[in-house]
Amino acid sequence: MKKKTAFDWACLVFIILFLFITVFPFLWIVITSFKTDADIHGAATYALLSAHPTIENYIAVIFDKGVLNAIKNSLIIAALTTVYVTITASMSAYIIARFRFKGRTLLVVIILGVSMFPQMILIGPIFNMFYQLGWLNSYMITLPYGCITLPSAVWIMMTHFRQVPASLEEAAKMDGCSPWKTLWKIIFPIAAPGIFASAILTFISAWNEYLLSLTLNSDVSWMSVPVRIASLQNEYTIYWGQITAAAALVTIPTLIIVLLFQKQIVSGIASGGVKE
Amino acid sequence: MVKRMTLKQFVFIIPLLVFIGVFSFYPIITSFMYSLFDYRNNDQSYNGFFISEQFNGSLFQEDCKYVNYFLDADKMLMDEADQAEISAVQEDVTAMMEKYADITDTEKISDSQMTEIKEFNRDIRERIMAVYDSDKYAGVEFYNAENMPAILDNLDSTIVTSNFVGLTNYINLAKDGRFWADVGHTLLFTVVSVFFEFILGLCLALIMNQSIRGIGAIRTMGLIPWAIPTAVSAMMWKYMYDGDFGVVAHIFNKLGLIDTQASMLMTPDGAMASAIIADIWKTTPYMALLLLAGLQVIDSGLYEAASIDGSGKVGTFFRITLPLMKPSIMVALLFRTLDSFRVFDLLTILTGGGPGNGTETLSIYSNKLIFSQSNYGYGSAVVIGMFVCVAIIAFIYMKVLGADVISDKTA
Repeated sequence: MKKKTAFDWACLVFIILFLFITVFPFLWIVITSFKTDADIHGAATYALLSAHPTIENYIAVIFDKGVLNAIKNSLIIAALTTVYVTITASMSAYIIARFRFKGRTLLVVIILGVSMFPQMILIGPIFNMFYQLGWLNSYMITLPYGCITLPSAVWIMMTHFRQVPASLEEAAKMDGCSPWKTLWKIIFPIAAPGIFASAILTFISAWNEYLLSLTLNSDVSWMSVPVRIASLQNEYTIYWGQITAAAALVTIPTLIIVLLFQKQIVSGIASGGVKE
Repeated sequence: MVKRMTLKQFVFIIPLLVFIGVFSFYPIITSFMYSLFDYRNNDQSYNGFFISEQFNGSLFQEDCKYVNYFLDADKMLMDEADQAEISAVQEDVTAMMEKYADITDTEKISDSQMTEIKEFNRDIRERIMAVYDSDKYAGVEFYNAENMPAILDNLDSTIVTSNFVGLTNYINLAKDGRFWADVGHTLLFTVVSVFFEFILGLCLALIMNQSIRGIGAIRTMGLIPWAIPTAVSAMMWKYMYDGDFGVVAHIFNKLGLIDTQASMLMTPDGAMASAIIADIWKTTPYMALLLLAGLQVIDSGLYEAASIDGSGKVGTFFRITLPLMKPSIMVALLFRTLDSFRVFDLLTILTGGGPGNGTETLSIYSNKLIFSQSNYGYGSAVVIGMFVCVAIIAFIYMKVLGADVISDKTA
């Protein structure tokens, strides 16, 4: 075995520091969430273990503050967004990856541009539009979520569709497959990992969205998770115990997604960034 | 292989086009239109887009009703001659109400009608106020002595003047110190956080690129801060920065980095630093993964060749790794710069733009204008200003990068 050089030790220190800093906030949030208000505000503020561990904070958050309802809202909205964005994006990505047409480069530029401009520019007109249509506080919010998630979904899928050998499609066409059938029967199964990666990233960004949700679904019963948690601080006293409990609670779904789908997430992020 | 598209395939991209059209293009164009008007949602006279003078029919009916109602109450306190005069006024008012009863919206009317209404307003104001202000009634307290001038003013506002202001909002924007200060805050936040994210992310990517045991676990850990909602991580950090109970503020204070524990969120510099640290914490792993993807496409044969040539680790890094990674570095930097530039969730929750607007970014400012003050017109001008900044940043990157970022791989 090779002897460890100073460089290797530096790397090791860097990694350990990185892991500690990454994990510490979560650890601290969980520690605090089991403390009583008296502990948080008193001598035990910085204690690692509470003298009087309690689950009061979790009970308050789940039953009084409607965090479970917010989780339900977010799950439904994120799931709806993921389904329709994945279908729409895969159809377009297939065409852009495979066919030549006028304005194709322009379309790619527009898709890239849409993913980069400030979302604040959309919010005034979309609010007015939703107000006039009576869509405020409804699941209609999934529609404008598309403008946030569609571009990157198309982008990721394009990368994956290009890796599907064109000869397969040729063969399918010879056998009399329609474009629909080719997409569903040939391209989809082969590009499935890429489509799945893009779907996971779409779900995460819909789950995390704040601005649209804050503006369009401002009623407490319609609030999404990020908005509900942020709104817990607008009351007269900040109950850190409850806020940390809520934060710990909503980190669980994210944790599950990351643990289950880390490969897909990493491949999704990578295909968004690589320029060969 | 690239084929020509036919109509059959065009159907496939229609949904995408519709989405981009309705939820991106339409709002951008509408925002631009807002910015050309003095458009405010909380004020009847500005609550629309009036290129020319318009007449608010429903408000006119309502105001006339009040005029007659007020006059009814006060008539009793007047002498007979004035009572007759006031009754005549009331009849005129009723006649006008009937004449314009069919106009129930704010709409355009003919010039002669406009003149008639303006003259009517002026006429009844003169006649009513002549009675109210008369010396005869110096000792009399009319019930509506104060309401009457107010309702007459309101009656004047039924003629809605044009709120088209052209480029005035943009001229004001150029002179708005708060806007330029916010441009500064936004740039500071963007440059500092992206710089540190890049340096740390690059180190992390280089380490992750080596086949060390347990690297998968490290990658998974790194994904968690990135994957949780920014709003939630902002709340977590807000707690840890708290002046009384915050553990990070406490540690920084003990280390002597800050004077008092409260200076983390209570001073503009401290608050900006807090936000930048929170952003670095959240985004460095993402940056590392973007860069790692770029690292992994480098042909490992090049490293072997360099090693045979006796090139050291540092030399290899600067002569081979960095130049070959340039495209992915630029893409990662472009993505992150534009993402940071529109920062909203993190700062609005962590600092709310405070203290003293010291961490207010362009997103927060425009959001305050549009939704707290209902000043859509000016708020949209700020948004368009921000849009221009983003376009400039993107343009600079494209220049450095070459048009190559959007070019076709297959073409």
